[in-house]
Amino acid sequence: MIEVDHLTKDYGTVVAVRDLSFRVGEGEIVGFLGPNGAGKTTTLRILAGFLGATEGTARVAGFDIVRESLAARSKLGYMPEAAPLHPELRVREYLAFRAEIKRVARRERTKAIERSLEQAKVTDVAETPIAHLSKGYRQRVALADALVSNPPLLILDEPTAGLDPNQIVEVRRLIRELGQSHTILLSTHILPEVEAVCDRALIVARGKLVGEGTLAELKAARSASALEIVARGDQATCEAAASATPGVKRVSASVLEGESALVRLDVELGAGEEAGTVAERLVAALVSGGAGVQRVNAARASLEEVFRELTAREPEPEPTPAAQGGEA
Amino acid sequence: MSGFLGVYRREMLSLWMTPLAWVLLVVFLLLQGGIFYAIVVHFSSLADLAVETGPIEAYFGQQSVFLLMTLLLLCPALTMRTFAEERRSGTIETLLTAPVTPAGVVLGKYAAVLTTYVALWAPTVLYVLILRKTGAVDPGAVLASYIGLFGIGASYLALGTLTSALSKSQLVALLLAILVQFGLFVLGVGEYVLPAGFLRDVAAHVSMASQMEEMARGIVDLRRLVFDASVAVTSLFVTARVVDSWRWG
Repeated sequence: MIEVDHLTKDYGTVVAVRDLSFRVGEGEIVGFLGPNGAGKTTTLRILAGFLGATEGTARVAGFDIVRESLAARSKLGYMPEAAPLHPELRVREYLAFRAEIKRVARRERTKAIERSLEQAKVTDVAETPIAHLSKGYRQRVALADALVSNPPLLILDEPTAGLDPNQIVEVRRLIRELGQSHTILLSTHILPEVEAVCDRALIVARGKLVGEGTLAELKAARSASALEIVARGDQATCEAAASATPGVKRVSASVLEGESALVRLDVELGAGEEAGTVAERLVAALVSGGAGVQRVNAARASLEEVFRELTAREPEPEPTPAAQGGEA
Repeated sequence: MSGFLGVYRREMLSLWMTPLAWVLLVVFLLLQGGIFYAIVVHFSSLADLAVETGPIEAYFGQQSVFLLMTLLLLCPALTMRTFAEERRSGTIETLLTAPVTPAGVVLGKYAAVLTTYVALWAPTVLYVLILRKTGAVDPGAVLASYIGLFGIGASYLALGTLTSALSKSQLVALLLAILVQFGLFVLGVGEYVLPAGFLRDVAAHVSMASQMEEMARGIVDLRRLVFDASVAVTSLFVTARVVDSWRWG
């Protein structure tokens, strides 16, 4: 559905995307994952036909985005990052405008608008001026816009940015639903989001593809590799008990600030150890040693650590000198 | 031309749903009404009724400097939003990622402001109808005057659309458009101040005031309209190129 080959975008002052190549197959939900400034938005804008690439080619639904731009654009629904809308229009008026310029046949327009309102769950605000809508609703109106021509491909730029936790859950559920009938490429800088909605992730950093992984690989990379325990008791006893526990690689103990009776243990797990099992053993050891366990936290890998984990497997990156520069 | 109708309809909706068009309509009609009233009062006080011209000719013709002054503000105010607002709010991104062509977008927006411009002038037809009750009005001169006004509007609005595409700020677009149009206007004044020669001919050719004066006498000089049309077409062509160039920013 999407074929990107050696895409480069040079803004003159910064190179936002460098030599990016990837594929998205039909029916997939793919997460485009990377820290802020990795070149996600630039790439999506190029795919949506808003920006031209400096080098390289991209095809959307079999159409070259430069030479067959109109055909390519009519195959995709694009939702930009901030979900920009015309505040003076009512939701239905806005969608009617979008359906018209997306060449939805006049006869089918009313039906298409109803369908997209329903799919994005905004039927209840159809007659409301967009200016009066909350951020969550606007985001979904933008999604309805992307859906109104019923395109086979959806490109969503940070669809959950700026939403509250309930709305995030709602939008993610919506994307999963849509994934049954559409190919979706969505960008995010939040790892759990990819886990929640995507089949596969493309990981970019500094404009380069640094990793690619299925959900299982991502989960493995993200599994806890360290535990953080707060216990009541003597520092030396606790440290000794923790160190003696099987599966523990290293322990560092310190007295919790302001709480002289509490000890904080940072436990690093041995390779391949399952965090839950080790935690169980640790608690048992500490309790039998006379300490009271107050808190156990699994320290999860950060996005950067996952990057390292995923990229370590593929002998890919040779850091180019320019790669150290700031990115747009 | 893809997207023309959709963009046109959306622009019309946005123009008339927000206070802008209505505020402009009120201010414009108040100004025109005042000017027209003053002219009619002036003519009614004339003792000699055998004067060559009537109030209609004065309104559209000799006194057209007032009318052109209002256009200097009206046209930029109508066009300032067209592209600047879409670029500021980001809706330009959804617009240009739809299957539309730059020409369709530019012409759709332009046609909408031009329609609005015509709508603003429409009530002034009443002035003519009122005058017909009291005296003879030359219908040819009236028609020619409106053709002249349409020509001037068409060129001013195209220039304004271009300046709106050149700036992300409505205010800058507005000021830029006023500046360009005022420049054209001042160039036209050259007809009266420059010594005879090539420059004065140029000034006379581009003078909006003498265009209106001629038209108000019922003379439709095709060269005037060709000039208006070429300003409009050139501006719109450049605007479409500017819109296309954003892809490469």
